[in-house]
Amino acid sequence: MKRRISLFLCIVLVFAIAITGCGKKESTSPENDEEIVEGSKDFKAQMTFNGSSTLAPVISAIAADFIEEYTTWDKVDPNFPEENIAIYVSAGGSGAGVKSVLEGTSDFGMLAREIKDEEKEKIGDMKDYTLGIDALTISINPENPLYKIKDDLSTEEIKKIFSGEYKYWDEVDNGLEHKEIVVVIRDLGGGAHEVFQKSIMGDTEVREDAIQAPSMGALVTKVMENKDAIGYASFGMVNQNEGKLIPLKVDGVEPTKENIANRSYKISRPLIVVKKGELTPEQLAFVNVLTSEKGSEIIEKMGFVPVN
Amino acid sequence: MKNIGEKIFKFIMKFLTLFSMLLLAFIVIFIFKESIVFFKEVPILKFISGKTWNPLGSPDDLSILPIILGTAYVSFVGIIIALPIGVGSAVVLSSYTGDKMKRFIRGIVDVLAGIPSVVYGFIGLLVLVKFFEVKFSFSSGESVLAGGIILSIMMLPYIISTCDESMEKVYKEYAQYSNALGVSKSYMIRKIVIPESRRSILASIVLALGRGMGETMAVMMVIGNAPIMPKLLKKCQTIPSLIALEMGMAEVGSLHYHSLFAAGFILMLILFIINIFLYFIKKRMDI
Repeated sequence: MKRRISLFLCIVLVFAIAITGCGKKESTSPENDEEIVEGSKDFKAQMTFNGSSTLAPVISAIAADFIEEYTTWDKVDPNFPEENIAIYVSAGGSGAGVKSVLEGTSDFGMLAREIKDEEKEKIGDMKDYTLGIDALTISINPENPLYKIKDDLSTEEIKKIFSGEYKYWDEVDNGLEHKEIVVVIRDLGGGAHEVFQKSIMGDTEVREDAIQAPSMGALVTKVMENKDAIGYASFGMVNQNEGKLIPLKVDGVEPTKENIANRSYKISRPLIVVKKGELTPEQLAFVNVLTSEKGSEIIEKMGFVPVN
Repeated sequence: MKNIGEKIFKFIMKFLTLFSMLLLAFIVIFIFKESIVFFKEVPILKFISGKTWNPLGSPDDLSILPIILGTAYVSFVGIIIALPIGVGSAVVLSSYTGDKMKRFIRGIVDVLAGIPSVVYGFIGLLVLVKFFEVKFSFSSGESVLAGGIILSIMMLPYIISTCDESMEKVYKEYAQYSNALGVSKSYMIRKIVIPESRRSILASIVLALGRGMGETMAVMMVIGNAPIMPKLLKKCQTIPSLIALEMGMAEVGSLHYHSLFAAGFILMLILFIINIFLYFIKKRMDI
């Protein structure tokens, strides 16, 4: 009998832990955080960001910098109460960013793509801030003679290379060796591939036997290591490894900072922060930092092209 | 007083055991729950027999036959390479070395098991893959073979320690008799030690298979991750690397997200079957 009781108690205890474990998830959601804050007038010491996993580390980095500099709000502006600054950033994709703003579960949404018109309509009173641009360069190994013959590929040519219609380099240009083209891409479901698919491939699919690199770093390493490789390295990565891989022009436009910032370079996407309704003064204070020179510096450091 | 202490101790121990068991149950239930959403859309048979994997396409394009085959292929290549080396090392360890040397070699083998898999992957990417490209002028060195070679190094400690244990037992048991009969050492090893420890060799294969199929990082870095039918010198994709590669980007709650759980569920089933197999081999091995 006693044994049974102890066994029963064990099960009850474990379930109690399990249930409280499950319950925790909800308590971290922003609604509850807001409740705590509402105690002090309308001022919100916390703000939440949700959305694109490309933009999330950038916002996190700027927020960390911001918090380290000021710690409490009254140091940002003497009018603010003395409360600790708290900025929460969570990633769940651009779509989730828009959704969270619509439903009010987070203050800001982060997008790594253009805002769709229907989304603009749905949100209604919308403020958006473009922080920077993420660009992909079509890069090849410096030992590949292609860039000496022509440093410019048209969209059509890139499409043919990545879809597998051109299998060997001499099909791209007669002056090249008869060597197989090694196509390196990121995983198909990821953000970088989405940009590439939209701006270059359209409905055409990438060849099935392309190497899927687990990270942008791995992709760049592969292009640097393999003479016959071609891949879409991010602009920031190319700058970090200058000379080790050669970015090509696309439709005659060189991937330079200027061309990317004025959107004439094709393979790019904007990094946008959206907000529904008016900003509170403290939110404005942080957004000002995001668009400031210092914010732009961090954005550039993370490998994107700042626009402000 | 002593009695109460005893009871509390017993209670705590029982609680911890139960906790670890429930933990397993929760993980299985969670993965099943997440993948059942996907199996409602795509029948399980279609999922494991279809040949295309395209997370951007329609749900019908999500199927993992080439990926399951890739997982198995890489592991088998790894075992084929690791088995002779592993069994050979085990023979040497059990029959030819002195105690001091044995301890030393075992220590080294244990270190081999302790190296993080990402380090193996890194070496594989920069040395092995590069080697294939330069020496054999492959267009790209990422291949099933590269994955198999890296895995074989990682499997070695498992094979050696499992085989060595039973071989040592067999050797000690028969050494005196065979010496008395005057047979050579190699004859004894061929006729007695290896045949007698065949079960443990089989067990080590199964253990290594399970290890190989679940390996993620090292394999992901050297196989190219292309979801096509695996060929020895061509790229392939394995289930763990598929999940690691795409989970970070899959939108939470999307069909793609659930399909990755489903792939994990299939992998878990395979490993579960392998472990049951291992259990029965072990049960018959210990007399």
